[in-house]
Amino acid sequence: MAEIVAAFGVPHTPAFPALVAKEGPDCETAKLYAEIAKRLHAAAPDVLVIYTDDHFNTFFLDNFPTFAVGIADETSGPNDQTPMPSYRVAVEASLATHLRASAIGDGFDLSLVQDFDVDHATMVPLHFLTPEMNVAIVPIFVNGLAPPLPSSQRCYALGRSVAAAIESWPENKRVAVIGSGSFSLEIGGPKIPPGERAGTPDPGWGTRVQEHLERARVDELVAEATTARLARAGNIAGELLNWIAMLGVVGGHKPTFIVSQTSQGHAYAAWRLD
Amino acid sequence: MSAFAVNKLCRDALHDVAFREALKRDPAAAMAPLPLTDDERKALLAGDVAWLYQQGAHPYLLSYLLRWQLFGLTAPVFSERMRALAGKEDAAS
Repeated sequence: MAEIVAAFGVPHTPAFPALVAKEGPDCETAKLYAEIAKRLHAAAPDVLVIYTDDHFNTFFLDNFPTFAVGIADETSGPNDQTPMPSYRVAVEASLATHLRASAIGDGFDLSLVQDFDVDHATMVPLHFLTPEMNVAIVPIFVNGLAPPLPSSQRCYALGRSVAAAIESWPENKRVAVIGSGSFSLEIGGPKIPPGERAGTPDPGWGTRVQEHLERARVDELVAEATTARLARAGNIAGELLNWIAMLGVVGGHKPTFIVSQTSQGHAYAAWRLD
Repeated sequence: MSAFAVNKLCRDALHDVAFREALKRDPAAAMAPLPLTDDERKALLAGDVAWLYQQGAHPYLLSYLLRWQLFGLTAPVFSERMRALAGKEDAAS
């Protein structure tokens, strides 16, 4: 049976690859991603299950899934002109297929996506964590952008279902789970700062989320992350749902590493679970 | 109103470089074949992102118009128009 060995939470700011290319390995963002990458490589996963949110690139409003899983031999990206290298990465179709059947059995009707590429929400984390693209992924898409969003309770329950599915996957593989996204972020909406395209309207919410994560207070976090609370934190703050789904594998564990970039409304966190 | 055609225009401005260049060159002509309502067309040409947002255009997609400064939008103009809505939407929701 497969084993869940680690979990991680990271931002996926599209500007970060170019920023780090310019500022080098000593800049704050490079160092924080390096801390996560170090822990990921120490856990030596064979597969990364990544909870990600599509920004109307893989999907569009003609058909926008609340929950979906990518089942293919490989995928590529970024497909949204993010200034960074283009990559191809293997998809672990066996786990994705098993996971979808298991989740549907649990009442989570994951849409099936077999021919797809992915945007910066998947590729920016991989660019920093596994740039050789030598670890296969299973992308699980959660709607964090197009209201109404799924509830935090629903996303956490999905995360629990996926955790059980991973543990019942009959392969002797090590699996890590990633949640990708921000806690407070507004892009293009009424909460942006004057003269800016994007901003962090609610850094205090980010701090609150971090405190809950540090103390393994998952139930409190899920209870507080209501639709209205997420909306106050910004029109992209629904990306916290990717983290909340990821926490489905964490249980009562405290992170071994967590650091925020508070003014940017996001954090970097790692859990070792084996 | 779904504002689907407005959202699609914004997305195509990201993904379709030729369409983006056409929008820069002659926005009215580039939009002529699109299934936009007269009010949507007028608001786009005026850069009235606040009105488009209120009609259901997604702000993330609208921000692409600023990214390439389409329809005369600059960061100060875009943010001033959007920020004028702040508080109104919270009161409505």
